[in-house]
Amino acid sequence: MLERRKAPVEMLRYGIILIVLLWTVFPIAWLILTSFKPANDIMVTPPRFLFKPTLDNYIHAIARSNFALFIGNTLYVSLLSTFIVIILASLAAYSFARYNVGGGNLLFFILTTKMMPAIAVVLPFFLIFRDIGATPIGEALGIGLDKRGALVISYTIFNLPFAIWLMVSFFQDISRELEESARLNGYNRLQVLWKVVLPLAAPGIAVTAIFCLIFAWNEFLFAYILTRDAARTITVGVESFFTLRGILWGPVAAAATISVVPMLIFVLVLQRYMVRGLTFGAVRG
Amino acid sequence: MPSTSMSAPQDSRAEPKKQRRAMSDTWFSVLLILPAMIIIAFFALYPLFYAINVSFRLADLTHGGIQGFVGLENYRTVLFDKFFWQSVGTTLFFTVFAVAIEVILGIFVAFLINGATVAKGLIRSLLILPLATAPAVTGLFWRYLYDTQFGLYNYFLKLAGLPQPNWLGDIDVALWAVIIFDVWLWMPFVALIVLAGLQALPKEPFEAAELDGAPYFRVLRKLTFPMLKPVLFLVIVLRTIDALRLYDAVAVLTRGGPGSTTETMTYYLYRQGLVFFRMDYASTMALLFLYAVVVAALFALRPLLNMFSARAGAR
Repeated sequence: MLERRKAPVEMLRYGIILIVLLWTVFPIAWLILTSFKPANDIMVTPPRFLFKPTLDNYIHAIARSNFALFIGNTLYVSLLSTFIVIILASLAAYSFARYNVGGGNLLFFILTTKMMPAIAVVLPFFLIFRDIGATPIGEALGIGLDKRGALVISYTIFNLPFAIWLMVSFFQDISRELEESARLNGYNRLQVLWKVVLPLAAPGIAVTAIFCLIFAWNEFLFAYILTRDAARTITVGVESFFTLRGILWGPVAAAATISVVPMLIFVLVLQRYMVRGLTFGAVRG
Repeated sequence: MPSTSMSAPQDSRAEPKKQRRAMSDTWFSVLLILPAMIIIAFFALYPLFYAINVSFRLADLTHGGIQGFVGLENYRTVLFDKFFWQSVGTTLFFTVFAVAIEVILGIFVAFLINGATVAKGLIRSLLILPLATAPAVTGLFWRYLYDTQFGLYNYFLKLAGLPQPNWLGDIDVALWAVIIFDVWLWMPFVALIVLAGLQALPKEPFEAAELDGAPYFRVLRKLTFPMLKPVLFLVIVLRTIDALRLYDAVAVLTRGGPGSTTETMTYYLYRQGLVFFRMDYASTMALLFLYAVVVAALFALRPLLNMFSARAGAR
């Protein structure tokens, strides 16, 4: 770091970085560009970089399919499951971080449930929800096949292990002395948790929530298997523009853009915590 | 462990004051995890027991559903199934090459960015964008990018005067098309973690090496890489476990084709279970698969995670 930098080396460095960034960003940029292209500029050789932007694809996507419904479903399912996950996970994670319940074994067992291949889990889930949906309780709660409740439960289970692990790492960062002095001042354990720990952990909880929201929003397999029309989400709905006459790439791009762009914004917000989140809290970069 | 040793004396001092309904720490801690545990136990264990049960039965959902016990018959069928082993081979090929390329490129990119002086934040923000996208959605769009007629990739290859493969239709190329997509999606993750590891390295040993005039590659070999080792292991293990479970990208990019050249284990499982409705084979394969992944997690992931959490605790 102390040596004087040579200009050609630095140019080479930034040159390569530029190529890498073009490679990572280009597919996303091309997706967004394609969504604004007129139909006759999409299926052409060579690809067109200049065109008159239009909203036709968006209009088509929303008018020709249940796209508004898909968006609504995605919002409902990802927000509600995230909310439930955060409540359950913050209680559990606090307990793991402070009292070390199960000496680490239980915590690791929780992580292994996430290692199951989703495809192996989805069929038993299919049968569970088919059976629950046939009962009056399932009908009243909206849990069953092609019901949003089934996805809310699935995503809650999916994100719980992740959320618990990440939050344990955030709770471990909070100083214990503060809690102890609150205890000495007459707070009981619940009050300590509610009035001292949770406010301090708020940033960590928010970060965990955004991660859960992204994972639920982007989930494909469960939505694909457990829903048909009424509860379908965007990630699966994008495929509805695969017609017998071929793939309508314009509307596909429009639908995909609607699905991708909000998450791009969230990821930029999460920047600093990306590494921590994706390593289950292990690397606190 | 430090938690109990630190809080226990506090409690014994506090308790005489308000003895009314002193719940023990153990009860309190168990109560907190109970709601989450009930849900996890039910929804994680039910599929597991379901799979174990069905793996010992005849279960063809198109012919009479779940039927009588057949002992180890399904295990025999799966272990002698040529296509099962072919899918295992495809999965391993994909995992080895995808993870290797991601890790090598990721390390390289991390070093480049770590040495950069300007626009570091901007570079990082642009780099992580693929991680935000759903593989099922971007994977679908990559079919357009890979298109032989209208696709951008072949357009660029043509401009460069290179051969233009039929990415998704050629049996020799299709699996590489999936690997390239996976590298696009996950290389930034590796780079980001390695970058975090590089930035967390202590300064002193490197300054000392510089004063001694140690050559760059010697510093890399003797200092940087040994100190980065835990982070590198962690990212390799996490990526490997994830790559073994690859499903979304195959489902939207190639659907296992052409032929069955990109049929990974998860996709073969999907076809057996949800296309042919042979739940017995599917469950048996799922269990074998789960067993392999759990063993990997126990022996590779667990020690690493423990090490990192001990280190964070020491700070």
